[in-house]
Amino acid sequence: MDSPSKSAAEAAVQALSDLKADIEGAVLDTAEAIDAYRIRYLSRKQGQITALMKRIPDVAPADRKAFGQAINAAKSTVEERLEQATAALSADGSSSAAPADLTLPGRTQPQGSLHPITQAARLITRVFENYGFDVAEGPEIEDDWHNFTALNFPPDHPARDMQDTFFIEDAEKDHGGILLRTHTSPVQIRVLEEVMKDGEPPIRVIVPGRVYRNEAISYKSYCLFHQVEGLHVDEGVTMADLKQILHAFARTLFGEDVKMRFRPSFFPFTEPSAEVDIWWHDENLPGGGRWMEILGCGMVDPNVLEGVGIDSEKYTGYAFGMGVERIAMLRYGIDDIRILYENDVRFLEQFS
Amino acid sequence: MIISTNWLSDYIAHGLSDDALADRLTMCGLEVESVERTGNDLNGVVVGHVVSTGQHPNADRLSVCKVDVGGEEPLHIVCGAPNVATGQKVAVATIGTTLHLPSRDNPEERVPVTMKKAKIRGEESHGMICAEDELGLGSDHDGILVLSEEAVVGTPFPDYLSAKGISTSDTAIDIAITPNRPDAISHLGIARDVSALTGKEVCRPAVSIPETGDLVSEEFSVSIEAEDLCHRFVGILVKGVEIKESPAWMKQRLLTIGLRPRNVIVDITNYVMYECGQPLHAYDADSLSGNSIIVRKAKAGSSFTTLDSKERTMPEDALMICDAEREIGIAGIMGGENTEVTDETSNVFIEAAWFDPSSIRRTAKALSLQTDASYRFERGVDAEGQAWAAKRAADLMVELANATLVEGMIDVHPVPYEAPIISLRAQRAVDIIGTPIASDEMGRLLEAIGFGTTETQTDPAVWDVTVPSFRPDVEREIDLIEEVARLFGYDNIPEPTHSRIPNFTPGMATDRQLRERLRDVLAGIGFRETYTNSMLPVETAARFNDPALPGGRFGGEVVETLNPITTEMAALRPSLLPGLLRVAGHNHNHGQQAVRLFEFGRVHTKRQTNRTLVGDYTETETLMVLASGRWQEQYWEDDARDSDLFDVKGVMDRVFGAIGLEMPRYKQRDASDLASWGVDILLGKRWIGSLMRVSDDVADAYSLRHDGLVAELDFTALAEAAAAAIRPTFQAISRFPIVERDIAVVVPSTQPAGPMLEAIRRAAGDLLKKVFVFDFYEGKHVGEGNKSLAFGLRLGADRTLRDKDVDKVMSRVLKALEREFDAKLRG
Repeated sequence: MDSPSKSAAEAAVQALSDLKADIEGAVLDTAEAIDAYRIRYLSRKQGQITALMKRIPDVAPADRKAFGQAINAAKSTVEERLEQATAALSADGSSSAAPADLTLPGRTQPQGSLHPITQAARLITRVFENYGFDVAEGPEIEDDWHNFTALNFPPDHPARDMQDTFFIEDAEKDHGGILLRTHTSPVQIRVLEEVMKDGEPPIRVIVPGRVYRNEAISYKSYCLFHQVEGLHVDEGVTMADLKQILHAFARTLFGEDVKMRFRPSFFPFTEPSAEVDIWWHDENLPGGGRWMEILGCGMVDPNVLEGVGIDSEKYTGYAFGMGVERIAMLRYGIDDIRILYENDVRFLEQFS
Repeated sequence: MIISTNWLSDYIAHGLSDDALADRLTMCGLEVESVERTGNDLNGVVVGHVVSTGQHPNADRLSVCKVDVGGEEPLHIVCGAPNVATGQKVAVATIGTTLHLPSRDNPEERVPVTMKKAKIRGEESHGMICAEDELGLGSDHDGILVLSEEAVVGTPFPDYLSAKGISTSDTAIDIAITPNRPDAISHLGIARDVSALTGKEVCRPAVSIPETGDLVSEEFSVSIEAEDLCHRFVGILVKGVEIKESPAWMKQRLLTIGLRPRNVIVDITNYVMYECGQPLHAYDADSLSGNSIIVRKAKAGSSFTTLDSKERTMPEDALMICDAEREIGIAGIMGGENTEVTDETSNVFIEAAWFDPSSIRRTAKALSLQTDASYRFERGVDAEGQAWAAKRAADLMVELANATLVEGMIDVHPVPYEAPIISLRAQRAVDIIGTPIASDEMGRLLEAIGFGTTETQTDPAVWDVTVPSFRPDVEREIDLIEEVARLFGYDNIPEPTHSRIPNFTPGMATDRQLRERLRDVLAGIGFRETYTNSMLPVETAARFNDPALPGGRFGGEVVETLNPITTEMAALRPSLLPGLLRVAGHNHNHGQQAVRLFEFGRVHTKRQTNRTLVGDYTETETLMVLASGRWQEQYWEDDARDSDLFDVKGVMDRVFGAIGLEMPRYKQRDASDLASWGVDILLGKRWIGSLMRVSDDVADAYSLRHDGLVAELDFTALAEAAAAAIRPTFQAISRFPIVERDIAVVVPSTQPAGPMLEAIRRAAGDLLKKVFVFDFYEGKHVGEGNKSLAFGLRLGADRTLRDKDVDKVMSRVLKALEREFDAKLRG
């Protein structure tokens, strides 16, 4: 029994020392290498260290303790290396070594951008959404009824000249003419009509959208632009409320100390009507600045409310409308509206 | 409308500076657009006496004058005017005086010139003898202005002028009159508001209105056939007028407000219109046939020559002024050439009438002829202002044109004015305005602008308000409330300190939410948002009205406007493509190699569909994505690469994924004029849009320098599909492992991968979580005409899959590929 056990023991010790170089030196830089290494030594079926442990009884009792300690040491080494290699792999993907040149530029991601009109429109709608306004949209091709008549523009009235209109079909037809909407106000009528089908005010809505004007194109006017319209109808709504919400709006867009004024004006669908100016500081101007018109507004005309079946004695409301381009141009200091529609990348990238 | 502050001060001593006046007007609803000082102050211009004149030794056309201006010695002045003569009293601009002289290049423009001692052709000249235009007093430059004999030598010229009621400088205030203020289109109308603002009285020129009838009605008769369109017609006759230039003060005022003086008669009618707002017409009385005037409707299609010598075709129902034989004027718009005042005129018939605003507006529109008169009539002139205006003009003709007034007045007045009385509830005004204004204060404010008020009830207060004849716009209580608010001052309405928000929950429309999300996603992956013009030439619109694109897919016609600005913008876009191609071309031409753009916008087509809201039109929103040129820039370890189909497909995956949709399917289309190749983008069976490479013809037309890869999606369809995905529902996460298997097959090169992926999905069934192509190979290892495709499959279930489950799936997949595509497992 001595000699076979002796030779078995010698073989086991020899096997262990053969493994030493690989245990300490194997390259463990990939998940596959780590996995193979673990299987090679520790797997229950194929692991070489597992196998050597099973051979401990074969070793002579005198040598058994030393042999066992040697195997355990090898096992700890394997486990430590596995732990380190796994950690290193998960830390930097593949290697803990620094790249050769840390100063080489990174791989770029292309830069995109939102158009300044979108940015200004979002800014405007956000203010009113925070005050509980819904958002509605409507068609750009409108009928005369929604664009003019329902908004209290009488037929053959000079108020119709206030907005130069692109016509699509003449007024002789049944529907009273089809045109490109000149303002977002027709959506007021659509919203009111919709609500009144099966409900009552309160109505609190803003309407962003594209509108068209048949005007010569210049640095200050384009054949189309974008508006945001606002409408609030409820019991007890007053001009004072209108002033308050628009002041809140102006503070958000133009700063806490914005100076604004309301001056009487005329729109057929509101009465009383006002235009709102803000004071624009400009040291180059005499007086240190000037008043800049930012929007039109007023109390919804009773004719508009009654036209859609709302009791104008019970309910009052206000409406306002502003040009998004105008607000964008003021905020960003753009002096020519046409550049907004040219979409030169050198312009757009300034709004990334 | 421009007003002259000098003129205004004839009627009201408001005591405000020009700027303060402009500010007060703006804040009461008469928006001042500009304030412009006109004229010269003429300091340094003095009255001189021409002591002697002599021929300039070196110039035939020049004279050398000695002019006494009250100094020790007469001034030596070289003068080029033909009319200079010894003994004249003249205006002399002395050395140091600055005049605003008409520019040589543009006589309308004035440039400041300061007088200096000068040598003109060798003769010294110490100043200038001035012509009318050089002094800003008129347009005459034919000779020097010769003053009246009694002018005192040495008197400052401004003093001389003001003694004659002429001011040397003036201020022109341009006011944007809103359509609801017909009362404010005149100096007296503005004065009325200034009076209400300042509390100062308005002083109207004294006019004694003659009795109706008398001598004039023996000479002339007026009859109104269209009484509904002409409520009143007043006529006054003056005889023996002297047709000449108007006096300087009148010409100066007309020039300040932008009117060109003509002759004293025409100028007076304009002057009175701008004074009180009532348009007048002056006829050469001797040219009126039968000494009668008839107001009636035109025969449709009849032609008439207006006093601007243009022959015009009358629209139906146009109101005409006629004499016994013929038409002599288009009522309220323009008189006729056949009866206009000429240099030979000696007797003038003055017309002042009230015409129906709508009728005037329709006719003016139909004729495309807006005049100062039609502008006022279509807004509504003072229903009671005709007699005053006619007599005022007659008085001025007597005073300034040596006319003789024929006693009496014709006043045909079939529809007398009845002043409306409107109830105003003080509480209602407070409820609208939002601040307590005392009832008495309301009465006072309304009285100040000419309304009559009677308190009919005190608690709560109710006023009966009588509307003055010059405010036809005021018809309802709300109109009165506006007047109260306007005069109270909007800036005096205090803002509440708290905000009342109704108990009302705003929703966020799905399409808006999706649109905003996609904007952020696209900007986040390097696309730039554009806004392009919706209007384009008809031919361009037709070219892009293509069935491959969402707009053209409706099969409708291009939408055209009836009155485009130019043919370049005569139609509405059926697609965002032309707009974006134009932007891409522009940017390529400006050195951009990488152009990646997107736009959301409405496209239009004429066809009734289930999306139609108005008429026969379908308006739908699309999203377009365009990539042309560099996709990847040159990098130190990678080469630059241009955009291709698979980049844009990747963007589509991103778009669909970002709004919770499954990946779209693609189906190849035939090439077309627009596209060298293209695919339909489908979601299940639903058509969502198309992706294409624009044809070389199109690319050339838009100067693209790289392939143009574009996708246009029907955003409405996309949003509908995504609506359900807006609020995702939770799916339990499987705690069982995923099994990954690969399969590589060889198929003919012509076999597309898409159907194979679908076959794998069908064959693998529920266990398949994902399938993807991870390798594509063509080459000698798979034989000529073949390719190899390798698919990765991820399988999973709510249990641990056993090898035999997985093997079964893989064998089904292989069988399907073999059967459907003649695929061979790659060894």
